[in-house]
Amino acid sequence: MRILLISLAFVFLAACDRSEQPKPEAGTVQLSVWAHAGQASERRTIERQVQAFNQQQDAIQISMTFIPERSYNAQVQAAAIAGALPDLLEFDVPYLYNYAWQGHLLPLETLLPHSLQQDLLPSIIKQGTYQGHLYGVGTFDSGLALYARRSLLQKVNARIPLHPKQAWSVQEFEQLLDRLAVEDDDGAVLDLKLNYPDEWFSYAFSPVLQSAGGDLIDRSDYQTASGVLNGAASVTAMQHVQGWLTTGRVDPNVDDAAFVTGRVALSWAGHWEYRRYHEAFGDDLILVPLPDFGRGSRTGQGSWVWGISRHSAVPDKAAEVIAYLLRPAQILAMTEANGAVPATHTAIAQSPLYQPGGPLHLFVVQLAEGYAVPRPRTPAYPVISASFRQAFADIRDGLPVQQALDRAAAAIDEDIRDNRGYPSIAAP
Amino acid sequence: MPQRALISAGLLFALPALAGLLIFVAVPFLLSIGLSFTNLRLGSPLAPEFVGLTQFVRLFADDAFTRALLNNLLFTIVVVPVQTLLALGLALLLNQPLRGLALFRTLFFMPVVFPLALVSVVWILIYAPGPDGMLNSFLHLITLGHWVPRDFLHDPWLALPAIMLTSIWQGAGFQMVILLAGLQSIPEELYEAARIDGAGRWQRFWFITLPQLRNTLIFVMLVTTILTFRLFEQVQIMTRGGPRHATTTIMYEAVQAAFSRQQVAKGAAITVIFFLIVLLVTLLQRRLARQERL
Amino acid sequence: MNGRRMLTTGLRYAALLLLAVLFVSPILLMVVGSLKPEARVLVEAGSLKAFVPGEWDLRNYRDVFARVAFGRYLFNSLFITGMVVLAGMVVNSLAGYAFARLAWRGRKVLFVLVLAILILPLEAIAVPLFYQVTLFGWRDTYLVQIAPFVANAFSIYLFYTFFLGLPRELEEAARLDGAGVLRTFLTIIVPNSKPVFATVAILGFLMQWGVFLWPLMVTGGEAVRPLPLAIATFYTLPPLQWGDIFAFGVMMVLPILLVFIFFQRWFIRGVVATGIKG
Repeated sequence: MRILLISLAFVFLAACDRSEQPKPEAGTVQLSVWAHAGQASERRTIERQVQAFNQQQDAIQISMTFIPERSYNAQVQAAAIAGALPDLLEFDVPYLYNYAWQGHLLPLETLLPHSLQQDLLPSIIKQGTYQGHLYGVGTFDSGLALYARRSLLQKVNARIPLHPKQAWSVQEFEQLLDRLAVEDDDGAVLDLKLNYPDEWFSYAFSPVLQSAGGDLIDRSDYQTASGVLNGAASVTAMQHVQGWLTTGRVDPNVDDAAFVTGRVALSWAGHWEYRRYHEAFGDDLILVPLPDFGRGSRTGQGSWVWGISRHSAVPDKAAEVIAYLLRPAQILAMTEANGAVPATHTAIAQSPLYQPGGPLHLFVVQLAEGYAVPRPRTPAYPVISASFRQAFADIRDGLPVQQALDRAAAAIDEDIRDNRGYPSIAAP
Repeated sequence: MPQRALISAGLLFALPALAGLLIFVAVPFLLSIGLSFTNLRLGSPLAPEFVGLTQFVRLFADDAFTRALLNNLLFTIVVVPVQTLLALGLALLLNQPLRGLALFRTLFFMPVVFPLALVSVVWILIYAPGPDGMLNSFLHLITLGHWVPRDFLHDPWLALPAIMLTSIWQGAGFQMVILLAGLQSIPEELYEAARIDGAGRWQRFWFITLPQLRNTLIFVMLVTTILTFRLFEQVQIMTRGGPRHATTTIMYEAVQAAFSRQQVAKGAAITVIFFLIVLLVTLLQRRLARQERL
Repeated sequence: MNGRRMLTTGLRYAALLLLAVLFVSPILLMVVGSLKPEARVLVEAGSLKAFVPGEWDLRNYRDVFARVAFGRYLFNSLFITGMVVLAGMVVNSLAGYAFARLAWRGRKVLFVLVLAILILPLEAIAVPLFYQVTLFGWRDTYLVQIAPFVANAFSIYLFYTFFLGLPRELEEAARLDGAGVLRTFLTIIVPNSKPVFATVAILGFLMQWGVFLWPLMVTGGEAVRPLPLAIATFYTLPPLQWGDIFAFGVMMVLPILLVFIFFQRWFIRGVVATGIKG
């Protein structure tokens, strides 16, 4: 019995000892930071950046925690209630509006240098703004388009659009799919990344709605999705998509390698695939804007951004870290690793991939010239995303599009009603 | 020792445990009942309101939840008999003085020791789609080439059975050990007497083994039933409730609501329903077991 | 007659062997896969080669340590499980004894309540408890993963039934010697209760080692993350490498497997005890 108690004591002491952080020197500020555990290359880049930052100076020491991506939002919400949010945290921009509405974030416009804010792409500023305040800033933005192989398109004599205003109309696109299918083993010539989880579907396919004149929600006041999400334009757009799925033009992509192994000719994917695709196809790889469903080609935007939690004791220090991450060299280090669009004009000018003439310049054009539509900037976004995702799955299953979208719109409207229209309560 | 001191001693002894049960079991339990009548959302700046039975009404109109109830029911009515029969079969096979009995018993019991989270991850590979997947190639082999490879975990019809198989694999050993002990506690004289009376093997099984084993069987089935209603790990790790709610369960919906979507009141309502189901099943077992004693 | 018996026994062995192979093959897949270079793991999973290691390669094990803080996860599991079991043995045995042998006000009522709690699985209170601890700011610590599990109705019940079965003479002798209740408990009851303590400890260890739902909801980063949650997040960490995952699995199950093999008798006895009592 005594031995038991003594060993208990030892184990307990060992535990206490382990959870102690190394004592910082006097005057050093300990900054807690959260980031999502995403692609290995992104993680490593952030780790290196943190290490470099810590080593370069003694005033601020960053303590980094990686949170698994899939439960990231849940973790943030739970930590917020528990008062355990880190000083600085990364988050997927569509959740910014919800976090800001709940009062978890500090406005950044007074904390970040003015010159820095002016250097940011307008799309970065816009997506990070809620009710007139800037709550999140990203070091990169995302790009979404169709990856294709020039040789395959030339084989079927397809017109190759280089600018979003030249994009294929959806009719032209569908004819192209049929022509490509003739040359293909199983007739599946399009990869829509059906294997991706969660947020992908809202990100990648709501532009289809907007291209047709519809949308996820009425953006004038963000109070209702009925009539918009399940309106005629949206329904028609998704019926086209359902057609591709039910006629077997789309590869299920279970192994996430339909494009690189040559099973499909076109891949509806984001900037993060550039490296892998380029490795596989070199100069044969080209980027084509998404098809035009009637009102012009539209594409997605928005990615992970950095924000400062309201209860941080050292917001100015956290802002210094954001400014550090937005230095051109740091931005380029990250975009080198993940292929994303750099967030500042300065960085873009220095990037071989994104400069005019560079292979990914299309992404910049889409962001700069308004072809990229941000996801709805409303605290209701999490429900919108979940409902649209469900609708997409139902549509893929063969459910009539009108029915699927009706359900989604009803779910969204119910949530907005439940939250009394998400009124502004928390002080900015 | 004066009587009063003894009384205090009893209370003091039990106090830590009782305090723990109060704070970590009783209070949450009562809280969940209370919360289920509100519209509380974690982190919302809006004040929560009393909404009566709205949560429950909405739940039964919710596709995902009603599917979860159905899935749990299907899961239970398949897994409980199949696993129990398998366990009984194993126990019967082992109920002989065999060489190597201990080894076999260990092998069959080993999966029980594996954490369900680990079991879930390993079986993802076993269910891998394509001809290289372990189960696919196994079925290909035993059907002499007639099996077409399937993506079990993404197939709306095969996903739930796939999870059932995983549970049966992991849980059979547990039941087997209990049933084996039950078998071994049946007095040999009963069999002797039956043999003298000319009863054949099947008759001995039906008229002696099964009745003697009745309460153990009922208990074992009860425990497994409650375990099947707790189904969560495999769903969270292998299928995330998909494809299209084909594998969602009561607990998965509860965690999704409360943790992933911060709808604590909805999660609490689901928890209350879960408790009522467990209570019902337990009471049923008590009644069945009591009948025997009359 | 003898021939028939031999045939039956032969069939029995054959059946057992076949079933044993089926039961063990996933485990074998994991163990052997952990020793293979990554390229071969997926490709060979569909054939008998899944069970043949070829060159024994510890690369995957090294990889696990390079990619994540496995040692930390292992320590977390050991610490949390250990503390739950040890603290549980103290707290629940005291309560079990109080219900079995001591007279005090409210004993009967409270015991009925304890029995009522017996049918409540963790899941019945996980959601409200999650809300409770989050509200109190109690996340991402060891304590939040230990405290809720220390007091356990089932353990109390096991202790209770065991103590009831102890001969009263033991305590009476101690009482005559002038020993107080606590002294009696510590010096007489406990040493004579090794079987139930072993059962409770081993069952408790088994149940606590695999807890997944709770840490999923109340922990975030890696600092206090236990093994079951760790392997699930490791599986979602890009790049997906099955060799590494299997190595993780082998290392993760080794402690509990060792406990099981060495204390098999107690394990089985404990499991049976739950069955017979029911």
